[in-house]
Amino acid sequence: MRASSFPARKSIGLTWASLALLVALLFACMPATPAPRRLVYGLTLAPSGIDPHVNASSELGIPLTSVYDTLIYQDPATGEFVPGLAESWTISEDGRTYTFTLRRDVRFHDGTPFNAEAVKVNLDRIADPNTKSQKAVFMLGPYERTEVIDGYTVAIHLREPFAPLLDSLSQVYLGIASPTALRQWGTDYQLHQVGTGPFRFVEYIPNDHLTLARNPDYQWGPRVFSHSGPAYLDEIIFRFYTDPATRAIALESGQADVMGEVPPLDAQRLAQDPRFQLLAVPIPGMSLQFFLNTMRPPLDDVRVRQALLYATDRAAIVSSVFGGLSPVAYGPLTRVTLGYDPAVETMYPYDSARATQLLDEAGWLQVGELRQKNGQPLRLEAVIMGFGYVPEVIQLLQAQWQELGIELSAQQVPYGALLEAGRSGAVHLIPFFLSGTDPDLLRSFFRSDAAFNWSKVADPELDEWLDQGARTADPAIRRQLYSQVQNRIMEAALILPIRDYVNLNVASARVKGLRYDARGWFPWLVDVTLEPR
Amino acid sequence: MLWFLARRLLAMLPVLWGAATLSFAAIHLLPGDPATLLLIRSGASAEAIAARRALLGWDRPWLVQYGSYLLDLLHGDLGRSWVNGQPVARLLAEQWPRTLELTVSAMGVAIALGVTMGIAAGVWRGTWIDGLSMAIALVGLSTPIAWSGLLAIWLFSLTLGWLPAVGQDGGRHLILPALVLGTTAAGPIARLTRNGLIETWAEPFMVAAHAKGLPARWLLIRHALPLVLPPVLTMAALQFGFLLGGAAITEAMFVRQGLGRLAVEAILAQDLPVVQGVVLLGAATYTFANLLADLAQWLLDPRVRL
Repeated sequence: MRASSFPARKSIGLTWASLALLVALLFACMPATPAPRRLVYGLTLAPSGIDPHVNASSELGIPLTSVYDTLIYQDPATGEFVPGLAESWTISEDGRTYTFTLRRDVRFHDGTPFNAEAVKVNLDRIADPNTKSQKAVFMLGPYERTEVIDGYTVAIHLREPFAPLLDSLSQVYLGIASPTALRQWGTDYQLHQVGTGPFRFVEYIPNDHLTLARNPDYQWGPRVFSHSGPAYLDEIIFRFYTDPATRAIALESGQADVMGEVPPLDAQRLAQDPRFQLLAVPIPGMSLQFFLNTMRPPLDDVRVRQALLYATDRAAIVSSVFGGLSPVAYGPLTRVTLGYDPAVETMYPYDSARATQLLDEAGWLQVGELRQKNGQPLRLEAVIMGFGYVPEVIQLLQAQWQELGIELSAQQVPYGALLEAGRSGAVHLIPFFLSGTDPDLLRSFFRSDAAFNWSKVADPELDEWLDQGARTADPAIRRQLYSQVQNRIMEAALILPIRDYVNLNVASARVKGLRYDARGWFPWLVDVTLEPR
Repeated sequence: MLWFLARRLLAMLPVLWGAATLSFAAIHLLPGDPATLLLIRSGASAEAIAARRALLGWDRPWLVQYGSYLLDLLHGDLGRSWVNGQPVARLLAEQWPRTLELTVSAMGVAIALGVTMGIAAGVWRGTWIDGLSMAIALVGLSTPIAWSGLLAIWLFSLTLGWLPAVGQDGGRHLILPALVLGTTAAGPIARLTRNGLIETWAEPFMVAAHAKGLPARWLLIRHALPLVLPPVLTMAALQFGFLLGGAAITEAMFVRQGLGRLAVEAILAQDLPVVQGVVLLGAATYTFANLLADLAQWLLDPRVRL
């Protein structure tokens, strides 16, 4: 009945079908073009501002490491610096002049040739106060100027020696951008970035996605990459998954091929799933640690601070909160940081008897529920941030210390308020962690006049060692200095270390060849291949 | 009509001024300082941080900062973000359409769902349909988006595979977030519709019309709803502000662009120019939505015109 009342429809359908068949036949006769090899990479924070010379987030480095080359690279296995855009370099006797001989075969994505002038334009841009650099300018330390010696030789002059410079120059924040593009785009450069790297910047839609496309001309990969030629992938799309709960979902629904900072419980579960692989990358820098305010009673007594360290069962906290996927931290630096001294590992084993003894000695005696001294109960205050699993850590800490008659109260505050509490010294404990490859980062936290001296330490020897460490080029001497620094920090119990930061990346099992640089955050996507579904 | 519009537009000015002032005060009352927040990861010295504070103008007396901000605003200059140096106007222009798209669709969901449930509950009051509708309204209103969002993703994306979980390419990506956000606002609309309907139904003219033999369907559409819906519209416009707020969570959850996410990030970074811009635009959007509702009221309900 229905078919007979609409006779025309049938014949139209037939026409369409035959047409479709014809088109299909035509396509079948044409040579097959392979589908683009496209990787979707999940970022965990939408960075506000992605100009590496200007902005500071680790998140911007994840995509942009593939867009820029750096003058030198650091081998993540050995910590050794190897040639990048610079073929070789020399450091002057006084440690104030670094001279680089540059590659001659490099072109930016926009066709601009790479040379000494390009390096100068970049470093001068970073040092220019109008750039308002939030990180790169500080990585250059006591930068004075850049001198173009000839077309492919360039010298960086410093006002005083600065040992972390090579480390700085190996980071994406000091990546070399096309001088043409910098001139053309000015303050809008972040939306039009041009480097020399294995991928070119296609577009960035803030809070939505960032797209990179393969640079087919790339032939100058450093030897730390698995190969020196162009990348295997055609395109990489970075998307932002700021809500931790959505990260595993994005992986499991196939919307993302790689995801950073997957919550520990999800990471453990996905690691068991054959469709996925867990890439847990230890991050060099400062461990998750609580700064103990040495100016605020009762923490002005070193015995009380030491008691807190003995009273903390760090292994239990780490296994419960981080599912055993993070190492326990024993000092201010994580294990994979240059100059880490394992001697700190034996200093404060979990020992509640020792903690009790120290508290008793300090005059804090158990009276009822809480310990007391001169009628004052033993109450400590902390401010914490809502991320980094600090709220979970503090709960366990509260329970563990309660058993010893110590009350710990914690208030969750915005990050800005936390930093302010650190500056003003209004509370006893402040949690913090920071990534970075050079141990010089401790200078910002433990030098007596440091901006972030939240332990309120004033130790002339510590100051001296930290200053020497920044100036000394000899790795052996530096190692010795930072070993002294770490031991002093722990002897004085300036901090309570909790765990080494580990970035829990989960990738589809189809992703092959994914490795991370010495920073731990930044993937070398040039070597990555993606197996077909 | 024109006079009505002009008066309403003029009334927006104090609202905007209030929003600008409040956001200014809120950021200044927050403990902490933006220069430290900007440079905490950089190893900057105390002097470098002080220099940056001066560069941002944060070290000037707050009255001076406030004055220069209002002056810039009068010139139509919203300033530049302290974090990424982008003009605030451009950041807003990028994000606002996304938020609008989400809130307007959520509003559509809320009205469609709320009015339907409200009519059903009102018509069949006292029955299980009434009970069910009101229960759904209550659950929708009192479930946090963070939870209902995850549940919706789990059900419709992971289990059933009907809709994409996250992202924002085209209309299909809009369905889940609009549903989740819209459901939270459907409750009050449903309640108001139901109660209005029940009240109107008991009016003497309704009883008379019914006694005359008008069919119930005609009574509902021609006589009851024109009385019930205008206040519902006003309620919906009020809910719009609530939806703008809820959009922030929804945007984060479904990985969408939007004003909400821009605001959250800017507040955490104490990026004053961006916070002020978002608050101003949010207030303007909200007052404009109310204006539209009033206009609609004006067109629908002759009594307002008197």
